[in-house]
Amino acid sequence: MATSPAVAPGAVPAEPLVRAQVGLWSDAWRRLRRNRLALVAAIYLTCLVGVGLVSIFWTPYSISHTGVGPTYQGPTSAHPLGLDNLGRDILSRLMVGVQISLIVGVGTQIVVLAVGVPLGLAAGYFRGWVDTVVSFVINVFYGIPDLLVALILITVISLGKPSLDKIIIAIAATRWMDMARLTRGQTLSLREREFIEASRSSGARPLKILFGHLFPNALGPIIVQATFGIPQAILFEAFLSFLGLGVPPPTPSWGAMAADGVHSLRIAPHIVLAPSLALIFTLMAFNFVGDGLRDALDPRQRR
Amino acid sequence: MTFGTLRYIGQRLVLIVFTALAVSSVVFLGIHRLPGDAFVSERLRPSQEAALLHQYGLDRPLPVQYADFITKLVLRGDLGESVANRGTKITPLVLREATVSAEIGFVALLFTVGLGMMFGVFSAIRQNTWVDYGLSATSVVGYSMPNFVLASFLILIFGVWLEHITDGGFFYELGWSGTFGSPAEILVPAFALGFPYASIVARLTRASMLEVVRQDYIRTARAKGLVEQIVIVRHALRNALIPVITILGPLVVGIITGSVVIENLFGIPGLGKEFVQSILNRDYNIVIGVFTGYAALVGIANLAVDLVYPLIDPRIRYG
Repeated sequence: MATSPAVAPGAVPAEPLVRAQVGLWSDAWRRLRRNRLALVAAIYLTCLVGVGLVSIFWTPYSISHTGVGPTYQGPTSAHPLGLDNLGRDILSRLMVGVQISLIVGVGTQIVVLAVGVPLGLAAGYFRGWVDTVVSFVINVFYGIPDLLVALILITVISLGKPSLDKIIIAIAATRWMDMARLTRGQTLSLREREFIEASRSSGARPLKILFGHLFPNALGPIIVQATFGIPQAILFEAFLSFLGLGVPPPTPSWGAMAADGVHSLRIAPHIVLAPSLALIFTLMAFNFVGDGLRDALDPRQRR
Repeated sequence: MTFGTLRYIGQRLVLIVFTALAVSSVVFLGIHRLPGDAFVSERLRPSQEAALLHQYGLDRPLPVQYADFITKLVLRGDLGESVANRGTKITPLVLREATVSAEIGFVALLFTVGLGMMFGVFSAIRQNTWVDYGLSATSVVGYSMPNFVLASFLILIFGVWLEHITDGGFFYELGWSGTFGSPAEILVPAFALGFPYASIVARLTRASMLEVVRQDYIRTARAKGLVEQIVIVRHALRNALIPVITILGPLVVGIITGSVVIENLFGIPGLGKEFVQSILNRDYNIVIGVFTGYAALVGIANLAVDLVYPLIDPRIRYG
């Protein structure tokens, strides 16, 4: 305990009769702060959000302005990360790419939460045919490879012209099952607990039980799952853009930027390296924060 | 192989056929909602376009086209012809490309399971040493690295920086000439495809090994004087593998999905390359064929994984 006063050797430490109450969240926060790796990762992500915000208003060069220097030029003092195959400033494009990645990552998780949590709560709480139907749909979605689901959706809902919101919906369609299954599992075990029984016997309506009692108690694992979902979504978007099936070209998605440089790896590896390293660091940071959150919110699951 | 197992395989095969049919139907109907027809990018004169549409039966009402498509598919396994490369039959094309993809995918799976288990076991038996920390760090980097990034790095290292040693032997620009690639052309893409998933296997193997080696029967095995290698490989690893095989199914699907990127990057003439090309070319018949091929490939791969379970865990039996 960091707060306990230094005790002379041999002395019996005086146990205070009443300890300050520590809630789940402040306890988790304390544990998270002790996890160096998660903390560093969280600081990195905070900076990343800062870069994303700055890039809305200012970038060193215009991101669509081609030929600000010789094409394929390596890093120089004017262009720290060099220029790409069309002579665009890579640093500027990387900065705007932060926006794309974060919007896709967070946006997808918002859709996933909005779809997966209510379905999981309902399936776990009502059981019976609701559970049968929800579980069946979950299994069907798990049975089809996510790339196929996403591409069918992108093709059909965007009618051949993909945009960011449609890509978010398509990626969410491949990821909502994880959240629904987790919430369902949590609900199945929580619904048997006394406080739910008490609530039910005092006449609370199902909606109140679902969102007032079950949801807050399942929140820990849900947050952890959502945190791990963000890098998965970012990765998926990069993957789509790399194939040329994501957001259309002038938009500087990291995956598309890497694809721009693939054919010139021999003469200008920096075009691939810059977005690739940005992706690796960002995905690692989210995974570290996710690991940290899991350890902090559920110490029993610690491996 | 018992009768029960055979019946189980039969049931699964029927299920695979129905899944493939369902996927092809969804894609068929989805694609025909798109504006413009398959020849729109060719900028033909209206009369020519109408003639082509008629030749391919694309001017008929959608329900008729769909009935025709599904009848041919069910009765003859015929997926029709490519509209971009006229005269190319799609079914043989998809079958040939699926073989190539399966080849790469299988080698990738060997990398995933082999490397993953090796890393996991070493981490576990050297728990909390620098070996463990090093391997754990590698594994975090591994699953945070998109496969196209890993693939680009490999091309950069072996194809560009070490070109004088490798003789540019697998530089992606060459691509495969036939159905089978040279060992270098297979191994490097397969490594790029399999390694990110090896990290997941390693984490899982490590965790389950740590649990298993603390159990009594391991102590018994050691107490009766068995060599440590035998205790680890024959006694511990076999039980530690059980949680690992449960994720093989999703892993296989992941590898198949990942192969889309890897095949495009390394110029491998598989289903993944065709997939992207056909979408970009709007060659809708091939798109439908490739989706159907993928659905079948995933089903068959999952079935194969399920048939491996009982070999490792005798408690699992089918039928």
